[in-house]
Amino acid sequence: MIRLSLALAKVGGLFVVFAAVLGGMALVTGAGVLVDSAFRAQPPLRLAGADVVVSARQSIPRKEDLPVALPERARLPLSLVATVSGVPGVAHAVGDLSFPAAALSGTAGRTGDPATAGHGWSSLAMSGRITAGRAPRTPDEIAVSGGKVGQRLQVMAAGRSGTYRVTAVVDAPGVYFTDAVAVTLADRAGGAVDLVAVRAAAGVDPGALAQKVAGRLGAGPTGGYEVSTGRDRADAESPGAAASRGLLLILPGSIGGISLMVVGFVVGGGLALSVNRQRRDLALIRAAGATPRQVRRIVTVQAVAAALPAALPGAALGYLLAARFGDLLTGVGLLRADQSLAYGPLPAVAATLLLLGVVRVAAWAAALRISRMPVIAGLPEPRTPSKVRTNAGLLIMLASLVLATLPLFVRTESAAVGPATSAILAVIGLALAGPWLIQQLTGALARSRLMARAPGPIWLAVNNSHGYALRTAGAVAALGMTLTLGLSVALTQTTIATAQSAQAAEGMRGLVTITAHELGGIPHDLLTDVRATTKATAVTMTTVATEPLLLGDDPGLMSRPAMALGPDAEGLIDLDIAAGSLARLTGDAVAVDEKAGRVGEHLDVIMGDGAKVRARVVATYRRGLGFGPIVVSRDLASAHTTTGLDSAILARPADVADLGALARRPGITLASTPDGPQHAATSAQSLVNFAVLAVLMGYVLVAVANRLVATTTARREEFAGLRRTGAAPRQLRRMVRWEALLVGAGASVAGLALCAVPLGLLGIGFLGRPLPAGPLWLAPVSVAGVMLIVCLAMEVPARKIIH
Amino acid sequence: MSAVVSLERVRKTYGEVTALDHVSLDFPRGRFVAVMGPSGSGKTTLLQCAAGLEPPDSGQVLIGGADVTRLSETKRTELRRKHIGFVFQSYNLLPTVSIEDNITLPLRLAGRRPDRAWLDELVGRMGLRERLRHRPAELSGGQQQRAAIVRALVARPDVVFADEPTGALDLRNAIRVLDVLRGLVDELGQTVVMVTHDPAAAARAHDTLVMADGKVIDTLAAPTADELAVRLAHLAAEPVA
Repeated sequence: MIRLSLALAKVGGLFVVFAAVLGGMALVTGAGVLVDSAFRAQPPLRLAGADVVVSARQSIPRKEDLPVALPERARLPLSLVATVSGVPGVAHAVGDLSFPAAALSGTAGRTGDPATAGHGWSSLAMSGRITAGRAPRTPDEIAVSGGKVGQRLQVMAAGRSGTYRVTAVVDAPGVYFTDAVAVTLADRAGGAVDLVAVRAAAGVDPGALAQKVAGRLGAGPTGGYEVSTGRDRADAESPGAAASRGLLLILPGSIGGISLMVVGFVVGGGLALSVNRQRRDLALIRAAGATPRQVRRIVTVQAVAAALPAALPGAALGYLLAARFGDLLTGVGLLRADQSLAYGPLPAVAATLLLLGVVRVAAWAAALRISRMPVIAGLPEPRTPSKVRTNAGLLIMLASLVLATLPLFVRTESAAVGPATSAILAVIGLALAGPWLIQQLTGALARSRLMARAPGPIWLAVNNSHGYALRTAGAVAALGMTLTLGLSVALTQTTIATAQSAQAAEGMRGLVTITAHELGGIPHDLLTDVRATTKATAVTMTTVATEPLLLGDDPGLMSRPAMALGPDAEGLIDLDIAAGSLARLTGDAVAVDEKAGRVGEHLDVIMGDGAKVRARVVATYRRGLGFGPIVVSRDLASAHTTTGLDSAILARPADVADLGALARRPGITLASTPDGPQHAATSAQSLVNFAVLAVLMGYVLVAVANRLVATTTARREEFAGLRRTGAAPRQLRRMVRWEALLVGAGASVAGLALCAVPLGLLGIGFLGRPLPAGPLWLAPVSVAGVMLIVCLAMEVPARKIIH
Repeated sequence: MSAVVSLERVRKTYGEVTALDHVSLDFPRGRFVAVMGPSGSGKTTLLQCAAGLEPPDSGQVLIGGADVTRLSETKRTELRRKHIGFVFQSYNLLPTVSIEDNITLPLRLAGRRPDRAWLDELVGRMGLRERLRHRPAELSGGQQQRAAIVRALVARPDVVFADEPTGALDLRNAIRVLDVLRGLVDELGQTVVMVTHDPAAAARAHDTLVMADGKVIDTLAAPTADELAVRLAHLAAEPVA
């Protein structure tokens, strides 16, 4: 059976399957590496000397969903250090602290993230060794990983500038202060530590010890503490990293659906082509007594035979793709530089299984019709599209229009789901109803007066497109799909981003943003200094989790970045207040989007470190798109951030030059065109989306071109017949060019039409005009690209077989 | 009688096989000529060279006085369109368009308007008047072949070449098609050259050329089917060196 299947196979069609699977393997393996990395990647471990690390719980579990990550450090009571020390098998336990520290002059060697570079000396027992000098003893002594003993360094520690003398060089990253200074700087006079690092006594198994510690602390799945060993220690060290790894899961999740659908489309198209070419042979086999099941098996065997050789090179491509993608994610700051991807065999194996599944289903579907045909001699007629298929397609396209109205009701980033889902549905509808639509349109064209007088090649092109509606529609649907998906995803992003930054820009008109990322946050005295010159307010960026606030939010708990403002923001930053006032933003207070609540209500908020707060709503505002649906008070935020420092200062100087002296301070950055707080995240996200989209679209275009080449090459007989009927080679080439134009035009019209409605509605909802935000040249350029690809893919092979 | 198509010392080889071995031949106007011979004798190659479909390796092919071997592919196509009509065993109709569109396709390709009276005459003669709006698949094999004959004649060619025109037809339809071809010659003065291996079909022609090993070895005027059958049986029996 297998030998028969392979003997029957026509190389052309199966090559299309091979190429489709090759690309599909690359995409799915690439996405798989990201997912795998989310679970397995090993971030660098600072407390490498600790066998067990105790931390607070940095996530909130959700039912049947990924837990909500809490990126701000939750603290542990100091008493825990003593409790853990008392557990049998513990050799040594240290309370570890992290706080912002950065050298303003000279170098302090490796420090890692400045927001958490400062530590107490006792932490070194778990993170490294002293290589030169002696331990810091007085408040102005420090140890660093670079520099020289005896050197004096200007250090910004926890927002306070000071001069310190280096007394030791150590082999661990960070800046080490005496424990007393660390407690003061980290503001832990009340007694709290970030982590308890535990070294096991000789011969004690870390896993067993962790269980004992957990038992003593009452930790566990429901307890308040996490007890980590092995690679989990790194997550305990940096809750932000765990949250950023969550992104690795979400990204491929969101693109994975589209990718698999696209791969399915392309593989299915290739198989349909391959089956079509064997119609005569398969009909013969049926006549010779093969059952429909056997015919389907023949097709499946061929498909799998074409797919298997593609698995290995495809997977290799996938690993390369993932590496490039990892670089991109790091480049835009979505992935920490120290967070390397994990390259295991699992993604390749999973992708192979997934793709083989897709190929088998596609083969079954492609062979279904021909295998059930009654046994008749001769070539089957050109197929007519079935009514059920057409009606289903038209219905799905209609449904996509309904979804497209979502942006009229939802004015948050979630509205992007509308056009995106609408585009996917529309594309499926087009693939189903396409043949019928093509038949009707080209039929009308063929019967029109225009055609009665048309030159032979054009007349033939129109009639071929009409007569082989399925063949034409396959190409039209695939190319229309790239246009619709590409344009709607890209322009949805830009439209929402434009609307966001437009709102943010209005709200922050005339403001200058001062940031100090290199110092881990805004130094304490900076706000006072800025205020000496001009009116200013500090802003803290944090993360809060709430029940759904707006339509389109995650139905369970939803975490999102939020801005924290104080009463001094009133009159500086304009949120377009609907009720209440920012001046009342003190204590446990929040302001929310006017659609999310009312002044005087209470709102349960979980802060970034997991603290639960019942906050009063003191103001509602209209610029929720630019500033997010919730703004918390700075009083509330400052107690629940890792650094305890503000993220930025917003000032309104009469002249930017007034702030010149401040801008020259080391580590301070001034931006006179302020972006909204959502901006950085949105633009990074959209860059990633663009990159993914480009790869995906490239894959589809190559696959479609490949398929067009194969279908055109298969028309040798048809061309020979036309030549004998009196067609000159030049006329056949013209005919093929016109067919290419028809396919390209059909794809362009369908692609643009299907994304026009959702994008128009999105434009009305977000920008108040029936057009999405630019770059609108994307549309003509994509159309031109599609046209070029179709013409090349059809004309070049046609030239070869018309001699 | 002037020759419509003339071959002079035409030679055509496919690799090691000599399909036409220096053949010189005139096809006279207004005659129905059959070409017979065993498989591989070169009869289809003769037809393709005479029709200007295949350029010969050496020698001359004159169609309407022009040497087709010296023309470009496009010029050859234009010459064929003007002077030559084709009928094939497998009809060669486009499955996706109507019979009428199929019939007028050569004119469309030549950029000419159909001569309605001539078209009507041909369609009536072939009994296809009710079938013009149908697709080829909706017609019987005989009807499809008669449509192909109309298509071959619609541009008023000097000569119609038919390659096994009855090969795919049953006896009744085959006879009808042969009658039609003979009628074209006798009543309309057409010239028809037909390749066949069926002695009964060849017997409907005025003259029969017998080919073997790339050469015309015999020309028979109005032979009977039995005579032809005997002649062919001899050829099959004695392998020619």
